[in-house]
Amino acid sequence: MVTRRGAVWFGALVLAWFGWGAALRAEEVAPEQAVVQILTYSQVPEFDSPWRFEAVQHSAGTGFVIAGGRIMTNAHVIAWAKQILVRRYQDPRLLPARVVFAGHDCDLAVLELEDPAQLAGVPPLSFGELPPVQSTVVTCGYPAGGDQMSFTRGVVSRIEVQPYAHAGNRALLAVQTDAAINPGNSGGPVFQGDKVIGVAFQGIPGLQNAGFFIPPEVVGHFLKDIADGHYDGFPQVGVTLEPLQNAAYRRVLGLGDDGRGARVDALRAGGPAAQVLQADDVLLEAGGYPVGSDGMISYQGNRVAVGVAFQQPQAGEALKLSVLREGRTFEVEVKMEAYDGDRLAGRQYEQPPRYVIHAGLVFTPLSADYLESSRARSRDFLSEPLAELTYQLYHLAAEAPEAVRPETVVLSGILPHAVNADFAVRGLAVVNRINGVRIERLEDVRRALLENKSERHLFEFNRPDHAVLDALDRAAASAAHTEILRTYGIVSDQRL
Amino acid sequence: MNLLRLLLGIVALGFAAATVLPAQSGWEKSLVSIEVTSKVYDAFQPWNDPTRAVRKHGLVIGPGEVLTTAQSLPTHTLVRLQKGGRGRWYDARVTWWDAQSNLALLTTDVPAFWEGLQPALLAEPISRGPDFGLLRWRDGNLEERRVEFGQFKVGESVIGFAPHVQMEVSADLSGLGWAEPIVREGRVLGLTTHSNGRVCGVLPATFISRVLAAHRAGTFNGLGYFDFTWQPGGNPELLKQLGLEGPPRGGVVNRPGHVTDPEKAPQPRDIILAVDGFEVDSEGDYLDPDFGHLMMENLANRAHFAGGTVKLKLRRGREERTIDYVLPVARFADELVPREVFGAPPVYLMTGGLVFQPLTQPFLRGWGEEWRKYAPFRLQYYQYADARDRRASLVVLTGILPDEINLGYEDADLIVLDRVNGRVIATLADLAEALKTASPGGVHRFEFMPGHNLQRLFLDAATLDEATRRVVEHYGLPAAARF
Repeated sequence: MVTRRGAVWFGALVLAWFGWGAALRAEEVAPEQAVVQILTYSQVPEFDSPWRFEAVQHSAGTGFVIAGGRIMTNAHVIAWAKQILVRRYQDPRLLPARVVFAGHDCDLAVLELEDPAQLAGVPPLSFGELPPVQSTVVTCGYPAGGDQMSFTRGVVSRIEVQPYAHAGNRALLAVQTDAAINPGNSGGPVFQGDKVIGVAFQGIPGLQNAGFFIPPEVVGHFLKDIADGHYDGFPQVGVTLEPLQNAAYRRVLGLGDDGRGARVDALRAGGPAAQVLQADDVLLEAGGYPVGSDGMISYQGNRVAVGVAFQQPQAGEALKLSVLREGRTFEVEVKMEAYDGDRLAGRQYEQPPRYVIHAGLVFTPLSADYLESSRARSRDFLSEPLAELTYQLYHLAAEAPEAVRPETVVLSGILPHAVNADFAVRGLAVVNRINGVRIERLEDVRRALLENKSERHLFEFNRPDHAVLDALDRAAASAAHTEILRTYGIVSDQRL
Repeated sequence: MNLLRLLLGIVALGFAAATVLPAQSGWEKSLVSIEVTSKVYDAFQPWNDPTRAVRKHGLVIGPGEVLTTAQSLPTHTLVRLQKGGRGRWYDARVTWWDAQSNLALLTTDVPAFWEGLQPALLAEPISRGPDFGLLRWRDGNLEERRVEFGQFKVGESVIGFAPHVQMEVSADLSGLGWAEPIVREGRVLGLTTHSNGRVCGVLPATFISRVLAAHRAGTFNGLGYFDFTWQPGGNPELLKQLGLEGPPRGGVVNRPGHVTDPEKAPQPRDIILAVDGFEVDSEGDYLDPDFGHLMMENLANRAHFAGGTVKLKLRRGREERTIDYVLPVARFADELVPREVFGAPPVYLMTGGLVFQPLTQPFLRGWGEEWRKYAPFRLQYYQYADARDRRASLVVLTGILPDEINLGYEDADLIVLDRVNGRVIATLADLAEALKTASPGGVHRFEFMPGHNLQRLFLDAATLDEATRRVVEHYGLPAAARF
């Protein structure tokens, strides 16, 4: 991922609408007939009780028919869906649908009806170009506040890289408009003429007359990505670029006051960029786009973060860079990689959390979702245990990559039973070792417990600068295991 | 009937409102008002010295001696005393204060102040209640309110980190914690230090008496503390794993202190069975003859202070042994992120518009009441974990005063310095020294801690001094540095 320091991650609001009404007005107006309402019944896992799910929620969003008889919408509209129903324009029937592809990093998804013939007569919408700033756009969808399809008109306010709230730790190109985009609009098309030039997806609480839609560049990248039947995701090369506007810094790196170049501030260890770049290289061009000293490129008349250039290729493709190093300019190619090493630091979808339960001790991977659910239950925002979890999840990789585990495991909680009643650590703890085995991933927990032949299981949990110890009687733990699962209604003691 | 109603009304009023004590109660001759004007730390403009004034209480405890809590006094600019709850204010001096014990002594050189005053008596030992009185001057009247005894517990003082015994009382009052005395039967049981809702923290008189006695004898070196950490030995399976059979008891050491010699300090996985002969239970508590069950941490200051020796009976593997553990002095300066910085004005160093300060908790508290929620997480985390290279203190780039020399760095702040011109930076003095010699290329090279938001920046060395002078003048700083 290419990031710029100072990028503001704010609490953007995804715009699915929870709750809906009924009945559509009978009137046919193309291209609106390709726009559908999507009704979703979803169930989100409880990340700190990973064997179970929260209550079923129902929500509504919008979608539109694209080539191939498929429906495009936002990934957040169908996230954790148990059932998806589609309601066509002016059609009273509820049509079951399923997810074919979901790109949670770019908040896009493609659906198919269980009976594709139901879309046979619907002409698909086609995509246009990135609209210029100040040009007029029209949104179309099923926002809250009524049952009928709603249209709003506005102008393109600005185009720049924005955090995508659904992913939680990704920023891509986005278009801001003053056309009203409200909950329920999510996944709906934004038109210029009869062309779709965006997919409505989020707003910012407290910001007036500002909605955001996903531009054709991002949509096109997603569609091209899935063409081979597999979604890889937007590439992340692992470089942090900084503006290079200070005269002394420019002089040190051999640059005059010509406004060219951004400098490499940090590289992700082992990432593709680290193979070809080094700290204080000056990036002069990326993918043919001249890079300014503000860390921006000119993209179709818009000044946007250089990250946009890195988001053009697909994973596996190469991006050509022009680099200045120690007074010498050269070109290199960086191979793009769909990085998921920070997956747990963002929002998780589709796969319910992994876990292992033994004798009432619940182990699960450390993730942003787990941390958030744990914080919600904690009265102290920054207790020592929470501080350690936060550090491990968000800071350790950058500060000490050699200490990072493939999957950090936490003791999420304990299902109370006499066998574990004296266990002092009751949750919120990174598992360092079990019976001397360093826990690199959840499978190690199971292995360390199964292979132990001594009288007791010994657990070592990480706290800042020290370890907390705890132990269980091995035989008693094994004897109580099944009873504990039965008592708490847990069907399986693991999801691996 | 009407007379009866009137009498009932008067009685009810007496229970609902404060009791205004008659002049002859005696407390008005001991309880005095204190007005303290003190400097307040401006975290983001440390060269500013704003002040605030507070009023609190003090007790005359001897000839020319007023006892109060230390809060607000370490940075005072003016202290005044008033007797009788009204009338003249007398200029006063702080003769002694100690943050860890949260105690201070004041005096005034004006003889007229002492006329008619008499020392209050500190109670020893303290009874458990159930009810005590709380005294305070309010609108010129001496008021006594009923408070209920809660518990004795061990905790850090409001402005210190060495744990010691404290008392909790409940009161239907707000705004307490300004050294209001808690009294019973003519004796002072303690001074309030803080309140949180109905619960009010009190420094017990027995603790106060011990500290004052040591201070007067010249033997008080500050409070001691256990610089190792431990967890309660409540899990019998863990104790067995560590070699201890029998009922759960003791405290399991999980982080060593600064002394590494195993003959002089407990080591990780040691089980502390007793401290100074007091057996430690599975909660990590001991049975105090005066206060009941208290956390064993209190034994660092029950019969000793810093520099004293406590006997720790340990289980180490299969062996039991007793070691003499010398109590280290609780000093803020020994913490990587000091919880308080007293005794000197806030320090800073500005160079080329870059403002550097030591990383301290007072700086983090610059984010306001909810600083633990809003102050940058990474800076806060240094309170829990040492820097990787174990440096003793940290320097933070706390802000930028924009100038042409730092153009392009306007958003760089709240990151911890690692090196300047190749020199490791732990203090502002290190930074000043490092700036004496520029890096190749005629620049000063600033490097920040690995993984922080920004890794490096350069400033032009040739024009740095001139730029610093320009920034001082442009932004109205009294000086470019104070340390």
